[in-house]
Amino acid sequence: MSKCGDDPVRDACGHALAWLAVANGVGLWLALMLWFPALNHSEWTYGRWVPVHLNLQLYGWTSLPLIAWLFRLYKADAESIRPWASAALWAWSAALVVGAASWLSGMTSGKIFLDWTGGALASFLIAQVILWVVLVAAWKRNQSTWDGKWRIGLLVALMSLGMVPVSLWFASSPAVYPPVDRSTGGPTGASLLGSSLIVVGLMLAMPRVARLAGHGIKGSWLWIYFGISWLAFFIFEHIGGTHRDVCQLISMAMLLPWVWIIPRDWSGYDWPASSKSWRHAMIAWWGLLVLSGWLMYQPGVLDRVKFTQALVGHSHLAMAGFTSSFCMLLMGLLTGSCVGSKWSVLLWNMAVLGMVIALKISGWIEGGGWSWMLETPLWREIGWGIRAGCGLAMWLISVKWWLG
Amino acid sequence: MTMLSMRAVLLIVGVYGYFLIFAQFAFVELMRSAGVSGTKEKVTLGIMALSGIAAGFLAAKRGPSVRSLRIALIAAAMVAASSPFARSVPEIFWIPALVTGGALGMITVNLAAMLRRWCGLMSVGLGVGLGYAICNLPPVFMSSAVHQSFFAAGFAMIACLAVPRDGESAADEWSVPSHGTLPLIAALLGLTALVWLDSAAFFIIQHTHDLKESTWGEAMLWRNAAVHLGGGLLAGWWMKKTSGRGLMLGAWALLALAAFLVNSPDGRSAAGWLYPFGVSLYSTMLVAVPGWFSGVKDARAAAWRAAWIFSVAGWFGSANGIAMAGELQRVPFMFIVIAGICVWLATGFYKVLRWRNCFMVALVVLPALIAGRAKTAAPITPTTIERGRAVYVAEGCIHCHSQYVRPIALDEATWGSAGKLQQVLAGKPVLIGNRRQGPDLQHVGLRRSEAWLKIHFIEPRTLVPASVMPSYAHLFNDQRGDDLVTYLKSLGAERAFEIIGEREKWQPAPSAKKADAKHLFANHCAVCHGCDARGGGKLASRLIRPPTNLADGPYLWTAGEGKDAWQRVARTIKFGLPGTDMPGHEVFDDAMIRALTDELMSWREK
Repeated sequence: MSKCGDDPVRDACGHALAWLAVANGVGLWLALMLWFPALNHSEWTYGRWVPVHLNLQLYGWTSLPLIAWLFRLYKADAESIRPWASAALWAWSAALVVGAASWLSGMTSGKIFLDWTGGALASFLIAQVILWVVLVAAWKRNQSTWDGKWRIGLLVALMSLGMVPVSLWFASSPAVYPPVDRSTGGPTGASLLGSSLIVVGLMLAMPRVARLAGHGIKGSWLWIYFGISWLAFFIFEHIGGTHRDVCQLISMAMLLPWVWIIPRDWSGYDWPASSKSWRHAMIAWWGLLVLSGWLMYQPGVLDRVKFTQALVGHSHLAMAGFTSSFCMLLMGLLTGSCVGSKWSVLLWNMAVLGMVIALKISGWIEGGGWSWMLETPLWREIGWGIRAGCGLAMWLISVKWWLG
Repeated sequence: MTMLSMRAVLLIVGVYGYFLIFAQFAFVELMRSAGVSGTKEKVTLGIMALSGIAAGFLAAKRGPSVRSLRIALIAAAMVAASSPFARSVPEIFWIPALVTGGALGMITVNLAAMLRRWCGLMSVGLGVGLGYAICNLPPVFMSSAVHQSFFAAGFAMIACLAVPRDGESAADEWSVPSHGTLPLIAALLGLTALVWLDSAAFFIIQHTHDLKESTWGEAMLWRNAAVHLGGGLLAGWWMKKTSGRGLMLGAWALLALAAFLVNSPDGRSAAGWLYPFGVSLYSTMLVAVPGWFSGVKDARAAAWRAAWIFSVAGWFGSANGIAMAGELQRVPFMFIVIAGICVWLATGFYKVLRWRNCFMVALVVLPALIAGRAKTAAPITPTTIERGRAVYVAEGCIHCHSQYVRPIALDEATWGSAGKLQQVLAGKPVLIGNRRQGPDLQHVGLRRSEAWLKIHFIEPRTLVPASVMPSYAHLFNDQRGDDLVTYLKSLGAERAFEIIGEREKWQPAPSAKKADAKHLFANHCAVCHGCDARGGGKLASRLIRPPTNLADGPYLWTAGEGKDAWQRVARTIKFGLPGTDMPGHEVFDDAMIRALTDELMSWREK
């Protein structure tokens, strides 16, 4: 998988796994710094490493499989485009290296997941433009090989992708901030619905765009509900409010049916046998993510867990559990082979689960009062130990996947 | 494991044992005890290296043979056994150096070239691990140079006896495929970087007393022996299962992390585990590369590879590593990075060095470099508070601290009442944060003095023993620390009257929970007020206003008696005293405040 060859789809998967290993290594380092604060060294303290971990996971590990998907869709692996597509990946990875150097040197916009600023922002925007140009060239070269609808669809998608650098530039500005739930200081239920619906869209698209045999849920009610969900997002986002307001609670509740709809939809397709383990893992994580997310948004519960490790645990559930399984599944579909052996897949998911449970329990206890900030209670030590242990296992597995 | 592979393991153990205990240690000690030092020492060691390189290439030219290997081992044993007696004639110390180097060059090249005939990669790992482990056993490691020389002679003789007979071979050894090949240039690049890094780190460890005690002291030797053995076995297994490239990278990561951790006293314990592990990984690879990962088809070709690798990586790499460490007395961070890049390149990265890839990377990196230069040239005119806020953003304080009091009871009782959301959202960037590893800072300026904040930034655990906050002492090497303190002091200032007014209404709720007041005082108060509460804590001299004598008074801020005084003391503990260095202890729960207040009031009554 990680061998550098002449297949940009495989190359993108290789870059993704490399960044997973690096970002997990940084994550482990963060866990150790929390446990042993003396490990913080000179200027490179915990606060500077956090954006490195977060952004490499997002823009390295989880974005590159989507880029591999784009390469396959636009046939960027065709003869004349191929070397440029592979080169675009190096531009992307180079931008991530520049970003990491920038955050470690204290250059950040101060916005979580949008820390790009100054030269690093310029680098990343250029990398995105390079990738976009490669996709445009691929579309131009291959357009005659697609039927009309597909060709237009890809063109529309291409034009939308052209807006991504502009959106990133806009969103990473310190002057811009999304709507806030004033009772928590965090996102509104509608914001969470909107971001989740993007993921739902990707999950609905995966078997269809991959042109797997079979079919998803018949009838139009699936798409009607998808449309209603988006409509609810726009309306409730405009209205705003807190997690005690009905409209925001409805926003979160609208995600619940998707726990059932997605597996039901996917069950109609003829998935490759090699996708089984990651597909099942992804569906399990998806269910857990939505159900626990809904539960944690409830009044009383969110009041207790906000600002605690419980929400860090939820982020790990989302990224290391659900999103990682999604990426693995996607890479498996694109390359025709499962990433990792059965045991490594099992071990990864067990390690993620262990970490999530430890973080959520620690967070729940933290939320009961703040006196733990002055002492080092045993439960915190145990929590950090479990977190670091699971982090070590995840790092070793990711290194094995990358090198394997 | 066959008898042949067991003999091969014994041979590797003997050669490694000889090399580590004699060539690296005992010989140097004997030479120094003979009065050979300074330039003479360098010249003698130079002779050893040159002779080793020459003998290695000679062995490759003649072709590997069992006979050469045996003769070289006998020569090595003789020189080790006779070196203690050569101390009386320092003028001719170059002769044992010449023979030791020559014998080692001959032995290592012959061994690496022929090993594949005799054993598999697991045996190589076992041999290297055992060799290191035995040398680390206290009876061997801690013995005198003379005894070590005799041990080394024994190692060489055992190895000589273990050398398989001529023509003895496990199977059609070259027909068994290995998992990949490492081009010569890549092997030279990666292994040289690792040997260089290891030699420098080992030199620093051995020449820094504290460091040596905490990583290679007598108590650590058994552990190091076990770690070396484990590392060797893992390396053998790893190479058997996959190509050796990941191993090289893993070895670098361990050595780099160890070199990084060793700078901090708390990290030395972890470094003591990582360093021997990394050394065993790459040392096993050093032995295996010529035979298994060179892509060569016979032992003669493998011997040429071995000669190049041991000359450049072994002799040149170790000499430069020691010279660098001797000159700088540290392993520079930049060198660790450069070594990492070399290893990275060696592991196959060089394949991507196509012009398109380089062009694209340049296209992305150059603007960042230009922007970086442009930024440093720009004039800076913000206020102190704005600069402090920028430091807060740059250091990623938002990842551990919120600046948002939620309109819920627990938050408002702890940090003060919630403010207006619009005011929070007016900040660019907004600094609400999403995690509290430490306190909310929205009104921190009303709870902490400049002096307290500065001490806390420099030594967080002096003031808060369980704090996970890193030390930010480096910020006070320039203006950033003071700017940050000024910024934090400004937080909450606009609501000062309102919040201080709210505090006057606060009183701790009744609680069935019992808190240990003496423990709380010792952990959180004694550092300023002193263990006897008379105001003479170890930080007292660093505060603007001396801490109150809590035993005898005067009680300027909490004067009076009875219930009112008790309430004032409770509020002072909880929220601190604005305008003084007395901080708030807002995260104490009500039971803690009650217990501590009762304790302080009981002292007054006495």
